[in-house]
Amino acid sequence: MIGLASISLVLISSVVIGVWGVRAARSTPDFLVASRRIVPGWNALAIAGEYVSAASVLGLAGLLVKNGVGAMWYAVGFTGGYVLVAALVAGPMRRSGAYTVPDFAEYRLGSPRLRRMCGLVVLVIMLLYLIPQFKAAGVVLELVSGIPYWVGVVGAGLVVASTIAVGGMRAATYVQAFHYMVKLAFIAVPALFLIFLAGPARRAAAINPAEVDAEWMRPLLDLDGSGHPVLATVSVLVATTLGAMGLPHVVMRFHTVAGARAARRVAVGVIVLLGGFYLFPIVYGLLGRVVAPNPAETDIVTVLVPGEIAPGAVGAVLTALVAAGAFAAFLSTSSGLLLALAGGLSHDLFGGSLPRLRLGVAAGTGLAVALALPAAGVDINVLVGWAFAVAASTFCPLLALGIWWRGLTATGATVGLLIGAGASTGAALASVFIDLEPGVVSILLSQPALWTVPMAFTAMILASRPSEIPEWADEAVLRLHLPTRSRKSVDAREETD
Amino acid sequence: MSQRVRVTSPQTRLAMRRRADAMRRGSHQSGRAPIVSTAIDIEAAERALRRQRRLAVRTVALLGIALTALLLAADLAGGRLGWAVLFFMPYPVLLALAAIHVRRAERIEADPR
Repeated sequence: MIGLASISLVLISSVVIGVWGVRAARSTPDFLVASRRIVPGWNALAIAGEYVSAASVLGLAGLLVKNGVGAMWYAVGFTGGYVLVAALVAGPMRRSGAYTVPDFAEYRLGSPRLRRMCGLVVLVIMLLYLIPQFKAAGVVLELVSGIPYWVGVVGAGLVVASTIAVGGMRAATYVQAFHYMVKLAFIAVPALFLIFLAGPARRAAAINPAEVDAEWMRPLLDLDGSGHPVLATVSVLVATTLGAMGLPHVVMRFHTVAGARAARRVAVGVIVLLGGFYLFPIVYGLLGRVVAPNPAETDIVTVLVPGEIAPGAVGAVLTALVAAGAFAAFLSTSSGLLLALAGGLSHDLFGGSLPRLRLGVAAGTGLAVALALPAAGVDINVLVGWAFAVAASTFCPLLALGIWWRGLTATGATVGLLIGAGASTGAALASVFIDLEPGVVSILLSQPALWTVPMAFTAMILASRPSEIPEWADEAVLRLHLPTRSRKSVDAREETD
Repeated sequence: MSQRVRVTSPQTRLAMRRRADAMRRGSHQSGRAPIVSTAIDIEAAERALRRQRRLAVRTVALLGIALTALLLAADLAGGRLGWAVLFFMPYPVLLALAAIHVRRAERIEADPR
């Protein structure tokens, strides 16, 4: 019950902060990007708050217990992506003035058809990302309160959709900054207590390989014992680092920063916040391997560990805190994702009006909840991994080439997107429905980024060659890199806006 | 038979689209679209693009090298220390790469040659 109480507290505070920001949500730009009035520090906190999802809080520790130390590579990739965001997209994307990735596609390539196609890709990525978030909410609620899985999932959907539909992004920025702090506090502080409470014997066991099999301790990702851990690790790294760069809800965040300079700096700030956070799920994973080696459900290890280490009142309080932290992770990520999904539905696919945007939030939630119900048995990180793989095979090449290469044309981008999206989703689906012997082929299907990303890049470049480059395309690219000095007046105007 | 084509800058096109959207739903947008209709210094922009691209390629390459080195280091460290390598090493390295990139990118912007 105390678990449920702490979750309710997180929920109520989120709604209060959300409602506090409601006054700003008046027009589509207000709703989507808070009319660029968000201060940079808040923005970095909000991006980290949105990004540290159930995959990080629950999935990482669970995977560590299940698959071994190599699961830490997920965290490295999730963070490493922001080096690419800082280097390749943050500044130019901010200068483009586009709100979303489909918006950018129209800015750069001027094709309404391409814009709609990008809108569809946004839907696919956001859904793949949302389903595991709702799964996480369901399993956590089930664990701490005994509510049936489906009730938890549906209830979580209602809560998130109503907060977003009422407040929009302005609300979400403050709510998500708040959630980063909740997550850090509710995951980190119990972790420190647990390290202390575990005692020397269990502490030593947590980091001592002597009693564990060598495969578990090998710091590479050996997916389902396929026997090719280097290949699997590299493919996961490619998906996560390149995918982070193409995640539509992350890219969207950079439009709420004052200017290109600030956008880049926000990305660096995010690396600090993520690096600081990711140490703690690892602690739960290492301790979990000792105290809860065979959990009934992989993704609940984080919430199980406190009760196993400290039975009684202390354990109950720590469990409640961790559960609240996990729920905050679910809340913040799913609201950010839903906003991007709703943006994709209304702004990019149906030409943008506010009632439709709210309808989009409702529709997106319904779809994600409906798909999360049968997904109860799929590991969180598997689904999130696919979202990253699809983003890496579609928007990563679109943004990288669109920003840095003047030769990209609408035809090239269309062909590349079709091939990248088709190959990555096709491979992921195939790995679910085709029963394969663990081996090279099974890795390349379940972690397709290693071959789908180069394929999408190649397709975009080759298909761009024959078509003619429109004369305004040159300027569209050059404007993205214009030195600050020559447009100081513009940036200054935006900053005082 | 020649066809007339209307030429608009990309940002103008985006702004016009937003205005059209707003008109269609019969309301006036309070948010102002960021329109930059001033002419740009093409030569300066060309130089900026080339220098920033060189820097970006370098950072991407360094990230690849760093991650590969980390993978090798973790695997060589093996069972007892492998987890520690993955726990302590990656984040300072990633932060350094990003911070150095941003500092250089800002220096290029401050000093257009």
